[in-house]
Amino acid sequence: MTDDGEATSDEALCRRIAARDDAAFDVLVARYQARAYRLAWSFLRNAEDARDVSQDAFIRVWEAAERFRGDARFSTWFYRILVNACLDHKRRGRWWALRVARDSDRESDESLVERQPAPGPDPGDHASKAQTMTRLWNAVHRLSAQQRAAVILYAQEHLSTAEIADVLKVAEPTVRVHLHRAVAALRKELAP
Amino acid sequence: MTAERPDDLTAADRELLARAVAAAPSPPEPRWGEYRAELRARLEARRSIGTRLRRWWARPAPIALSFGLATALLLFTLHPVERRPDFASVDEAMLGASLDLLENYHVVERLDLLENFEVIRRLDDVPSRES
Repeated sequence: MTDDGEATSDEALCRRIAARDDAAFDVLVARYQARAYRLAWSFLRNAEDARDVSQDAFIRVWEAAERFRGDARFSTWFYRILVNACLDHKRRGRWWALRVARDSDRESDESLVERQPAPGPDPGDHASKAQTMTRLWNAVHRLSAQQRAAVILYAQEHLSTAEIADVLKVAEPTVRVHLHRAVAALRKELAP
Repeated sequence: MTAERPDDLTAADRELLARAVAAAPSPPEPRWGEYRAELRARLEARRSIGTRLRRWWARPAPIALSFGLATALLLFTLHPVERRPDFASVDEAMLGASLDLLENYHVVERLDLLENFEVIRRLDDVPSRES
């Protein structure tokens, strides 16, 4: 919880941001920047968009800090802002986003195979693993936006289904349904 | 974030989801200093726009303008101006447009024989005073 010697909770920082404390904002950004960027990138699969959208989320935090009631954790509130920013971004430029995703799919297909280590004793095994990873990752991208958000928040950010429900503003059983459907889709993708 | 995860996913399901997320290639890491500087610049730009807008709205002229517009809108909504089309003027305009077709209109005007169909049919044969 401490960064740069600051022994301050996220919630306390957020209250200070509401009082227009620039230093608190800088600490919070430094604390969440990597997570925010990574989550936006997992969602949008484009570095520039991830950079823009994660920065947008921080700007929204600045603007809406006084509305943070403190009855939920700051991280949950921040994830909600970030996921909404990602969903908005996708809605705004659906056509463009699809095009970008297709391009980056192609790039990531190549890069996933390219970044594998040099062939060892069993090159066939390595290639097959790389292919499986690519298929899995592409399958995640083909999930609906809500399912993808649930999977990323669950498996990457390690949020509970209750926390995901809070972030996505849906009922907890809905999150479970999203996760089960995602698992089913991934299994289908891996089936021979 | 949470140690206990009370969901009905099996261990195999969780493992599959973990593998799916781990399959993501590493995103290009931004230079965090630049990232924060860019964010700071965007935030400053946003704040200055907000400040300028607040200052502009705080001036008396925009307040008076807004008040005037709101009043006009309210009056217009409550008492909409009735604008019935003037059919007579439209008719006259149409008639005027077709007058050129009647070469000997002055004859018709003088003889007042519009009811006489035969005369109207042979209107162009009626010699005019000039010819």
